Amino acid sequence: MKKYLVAYSIALQETLQRRSTLLMDRLGGFAIVVSLYSFWNALLGDKPSFLGYTRSEMLTYVLLINVLRSFVFTGRGWQLVGEISSGRISSYLVRPISYHGYSLALDMAQKTVHAVSAFLEVALLAWLISGGIFLPRDPATWALFAAAAVLSSLVFFFLEMLVSSLAFWTSESGGPLFCFELFLQFAAGAFFPLDVLPEGIQRLLSATPFPYMVFFPARIFLDKVPHPEALRLLAVELAWLAAVVFAALGLWRQGVQSYAAEGG
Amino acid sequence: MAPAIETKGLTKDYRSPVKEPGLWGGIRSLVNRRYKDIRAVNDVSLRIEEGELVGFLGANGAGKTTTLKMLSGLLTPTAGEALALGHVPWRREAAFQKKLSLVMGQRSQLWWELPAYETFRLNQAIYGIAEADFKMHLDELVDLLDLGEHLSVPVKKLSLGERMRAELAAALLHGPRLLLLDEPTIGLDVVMQKKVREFVKAYNQRHGATIMLTSHNMTDVVALCKRVIVIERGRILYDGALDRLVESYADHKILRVRFSTPVTASDLRTLGSVVHCEGESATLEVPRANVSASAAALLRSYPVADLNVEEVAIDDIVRRLFSHS
Repeated sequence: MKKYLVAYSIALQETLQRRSTLLMDRLGGFAIVVSLYSFWNALLGDKPSFLGYTRSEMLTYVLLINVLRSFVFTGRGWQLVGEISSGRISSYLVRPISYHGYSLALDMAQKTVHAVSAFLEVALLAWLISGGIFLPRDPATWALFAAAAVLSSLVFFFLEMLVSSLAFWTSESGGPLFCFELFLQFAAGAFFPLDVLPEGIQRLLSATPFPYMVFFPARIFLDKVPHPEALRLLAVELAWLAAVVFAALGLWRQGVQSYAAEGG
Repeated sequence: MAPAIETKGLTKDYRSPVKEPGLWGGIRSLVNRRYKDIRAVNDVSLRIEEGELVGFLGANGAGKTTTLKMLSGLLTPTAGEALALGHVPWRREAAFQKKLSLVMGQRSQLWWELPAYETFRLNQAIYGIAEADFKMHLDELVDLLDLGEHLSVPVKKLSLGERMRAELAAALLHGPRLLLLDEPTIGLDVVMQKKVREFVKAYNQRHGATIMLTSHNMTDVVALCKRVIVIERGRILYDGALDRLVESYADHKILRVRFSTPVTASDLRTLGSVVHCEGESATLEVPRANVSASAAALLRSYPVADLNVEEVAIDDIVRRLFSHS
């Protein structure tokens, strides 16, 4: 366990060391929030509610997207693709360390920095739009939201590992990963709440792990899910996590077996 | 005593896609991709005793790196067996990995933005090195590799030579019993190459670690290895003393000369066999025994601006060996 803690601490130092990259990342995320916020603000106009969301709920949703994006959508997929195709992965495979554990430690470091900055950004925005934010009163809601967010980030991490492991077989796995990330943002509800979509599409999406990543945690936060139902959603998400971990590790083992250590 | 490495009939095939030339070939390979098997390592059997320092020679694509990758557990062979320090390498057991180190000259495990010391700390945790051992090994490596002031500088600010030495230190902190070095001096200048060589030799002598190294650089091999294994197209062509290999297949050295005024090939024929002579530059092959005499004669009788004495390139020796086999 100690090795992963040391990896976490080193990765934290490195993330902070790359100040301009961090700043650019944050500015990019902030720009998305501001544009989504302006978009929904314009749509809402003078209406008290729109598509089942009150003004403050919709604006809170948009701000939550920023926090969840920073915490959930920071996997290590691109690093894995790069490390496999450049052959750098070799240096991990000959050392007594689990690549997934090590990557997760690195990812957690990234998440720590990004989640803290996202929180500060949202606090700033909330202060600027003074009082338009929905904050749940029941501490149980906060706890359920936090549990859902942690599970989501793990599901995302292992999903990315799963898709990126394709790089063991093809040098062109960047394409699938790119499409996966794009589709995922839409299907997770990272652009808008999924219940504004037609019923059929919603039903289809709820059979995938995607809505559990942003949409459900956000709905839990907005107190739109009764607590027993929230617990059921968490149980389903846990089952998804188990399935995704199983698949990612299985594919990984196969990939390492057939690894041709390209690049000399 | 059990050998450090023993392999029997080690064989590795790669599958690589075949693309026919041109656009039409590209379209066809999109729909119906054909593959061809390439045998990178073919029936390699070898035995290396504990504490040996063995040079692994061969041209590009001969199968050196593939063999090292199998011995380190990165690749699973298509056929054959291997035991390294009593373990089947490709099972990748932690007990084996803690005794092994693989260093690839063009790969880095150092954290780019941070001082190398942070990577050392990470490796301490990964290999479970006790604090006292860590300090002892680090002190020794810093001393041998002359790393002192470089430890606190971010890796990206180090020169290639400094980075390579830090890389070696990171790879050796856990005191591996088996060290596989793939092109450890590639890209380094002559002074740095020498430092790295001296270090490898000292490490082998001090710790009795088994070391297997691949190199393009004949000087590396001559300075370090008594025993060499030559591999060509995946097969072992020669396994034995370096002295005997060099005597048999590199019985001459290369003199590279630059003159201040043009010289003709016929002038130089008495000194050795003229490989190339054009205007002011010439290259001669001279039997080992005559090198000093020929060099002295050149300096005495011609307007020499620059003179270099070089070993025959490894690729040449291997080519000669290959044509004899």
